Amino acid sequence: MGNWTWRMCYPQKNKVKRLECTCVSLSLQWKTSKSIRNIVVESRKKNLLHVDLCDGNIYDLWHVPGLFNLSHITQLALSHNKLTDLPPCIVDLRNLEVLNVFNNYIEELPSQICSLKKLRHLNLGMNRMSALPQGFGPLPSLEILDLSYNNLSEASLPSSFFYIVTLRALYLSENNFKVLPPDIGKLNRLQILCLRDNDLISLPKEVGDLAQLKELHIQGNWLSILPPQLGNLDLTGPKHVFKAENNPWVIPIASQLEMGTSSVFEYIRSETYKYMYDRHMQSSLEPPEMNSNESKKTSCKTLAT
Amino acid sequence: MLHRKRERVSERERASCISIGSGKPHVVWSRLCRTSGHFLRGCKLSIWGISAMDVQHPRIPPMIPENGVAHVGVNDMSVVEGEEAEVPISKSQRRRSDIKVYKEFCDLYALFNMANALANATCERCKSGFAPAEKIVNSNGELYHEQCFVCAQCFQQFPEGLFYEFEGRKYCEHDFQMLFAPCCHQCGEFIIGRVIKAMNNSWHPDCFCCDICQAVLADVGFVKNAGRHLCRPCHNREKARGLGKYICQKCHAIIDEQPLIFKNDPYHPDHFSCTNCGKELTADARELKGELYCLPCHDKMGVPICGACRRPIEGRVVNAMGKQWHVEHFVCAKCEKPFLGHRHYERKGLAYCETHYNQLFGDVCYHCNRVIEGDVVSALNKAWCVNCFACSTCNTKLTLKNKFVEFDMKPVCKKCYEKFPLELKKRLKKLAETVGRK
Repeated sequence: MGNWTWRMCYPQKNKVKRLECTCVSLSLQWKTSKSIRNIVVESRKKNLLHVDLCDGNIYDLWHVPGLFNLSHITQLALSHNKLTDLPPCIVDLRNLEVLNVFNNYIEELPSQICSLKKLRHLNLGMNRMSALPQGFGPLPSLEILDLSYNNLSEASLPSSFFYIVTLRALYLSENNFKVLPPDIGKLNRLQILCLRDNDLISLPKEVGDLAQLKELHIQGNWLSILPPQLGNLDLTGPKHVFKAENNPWVIPIASQLEMGTSSVFEYIRSETYKYMYDRHMQSSLEPPEMNSNESKKTSCKTLAT
Repeated sequence: MLHRKRERVSERERASCISIGSGKPHVVWSRLCRTSGHFLRGCKLSIWGISAMDVQHPRIPPMIPENGVAHVGVNDMSVVEGEEAEVPISKSQRRRSDIKVYKEFCDLYALFNMANALANATCERCKSGFAPAEKIVNSNGELYHEQCFVCAQCFQQFPEGLFYEFEGRKYCEHDFQMLFAPCCHQCGEFIIGRVIKAMNNSWHPDCFCCDICQAVLADVGFVKNAGRHLCRPCHNREKARGLGKYICQKCHAIIDEQPLIFKNDPYHPDHFSCTNCGKELTADARELKGELYCLPCHDKMGVPICGACRRPIEGRVVNAMGKQWHVEHFVCAKCEKPFLGHRHYERKGLAYCETHYNQLFGDVCYHCNRVIEGDVVSALNKAWCVNCFACSTCNTKLTLKNKFVEFDMKPVCKKCYEKFPLELKKRLKKLAETVGRK
């Protein structure tokens, strides 16, 4: 009953209550608010470009005075804090290139985040987002976007999302995707696509259009077959990664997988496979039984008591 | 007798008359010895006066008649009088002296006639008579006053008595050349002596040369070719060039098939044989160090062939990528600059210079997306600049010596990993174990 997620709205000065969850581990190196203030001051004084505010038990960025005056900084780490959202004045950090808010409690993003023209890395992993803001589109420089370990699904991605053509690495692991929108093909510069541990029952054939793809992680889903168009890609080289285990593959694919990546790719390029695929698609197959994945992410789910 | 001699002389004169165009000018000698009838060449002219001093050779002995008896002349004639008085005269001797007297009489008569003839003589030029003691010039039977016997052009006496006659007029040597001698087409000078007439012009023998190679044509003959006078070899060469064919430098005939080029000259291939095996060569024989070899022998000798131009390498050889190259042909595939001993970087059978190799294939940093210059941190199937390699969850800088874990093929420092939800860590551990078991 009620949220098990506790929030301290207005922490008293110098008194920070530490909340303990079953999964948060003790860290003896967390930053005090004093040290946080010092970091900000130092950055301003010495013109430091990288600011590290990780593990500072920060609930609210308003309690980091002067942070948004550091308009010169290029990297900001706010990981392992307790932020629930980012204030819109984040745009004041106009030189920001790397923003790391991994492992917070963020449920919503301000759309102002798209105004960060120089933002290249955005790590929103391990938060509580169920949807991206509607205007999450035209981030002009975004290259690496980490949305792992959230509550996202295919409905969470606005259509403007696929106009971020500068994306070269997209991490969507441990979310709730059942299908991947076919617009994924628009991200033609994508080199890394990570869909580990979702609920995917199929891969769109547009994945075969991602000519620059080097890494494809689809392990831990509900995939039984692969689209033959995936054969257009070459993921067999030394720098390539193809992880597909933990899926209910049809037996031919499973056996090829056992032998290695190149065997799978050879197989799905073959005529026999194409024939089998067409037949499979024509027959109306029920999606296989899905075990509840709720048990997976305990820390992000609302516990029903 | 005199008459006969004169005839003989005139014959000789006719033979040596001037004719323009034969290339050999001749001279009419103005002097003839009145006594012997021979040409007086180079001798001083002695003028024949009415005193009947003969124009004659200076030292000619007195005329000896056929029977050997000495001539009784008016002057300078010795009479061997003493001999007749002292010696008793035989019958034959008497006969001889009769003949001698007769001859003397004839000569006197002739002389007398001569004197008469001279009294009526007129100068050929001015048609006036001669004064009694005046000097008379006799030229080929024509008589002239001394001042009438002059060049028709310059009105001077002929130097050394040498004159040239043309169309009834006599000229001294200089004026004759001025007026009539042909001019050489090449050098513009008078041609004296041998004249070459060709191509509607006159030439000195040495000036008439091949238009191409300047060889003297006078004795070898020439061929007309496009308005030029060429020697025969040049003409052949021109003809061959017009046909686009080579001339074999050995037999100088046109090469119909593909020529064999040896030391920059074309030849018929079958003139040569292979230095190695002695076989008759064909057009695809090869030259190596000044010797000719047939193609199989040449290839067997292992002469390296440049990978770029496919020609044999003589001189410095670059060995790279399993092939040989000319030093200047081993170039970067992108910028085409020769390596000249600098490092080259291979990719897919092509060689690149450092700049372009990095441009095209260089490791790109995962973090900053630029070609890594300097040291490369290689991990998790990706590359980072040394300064870019950092934890993906907290941005803390990492080195390969630091402890970090892989999470979705990203580096996560130990500190961050420990903050992961427990269930996640358990799952990851389990996964690692199953992979390890496999």
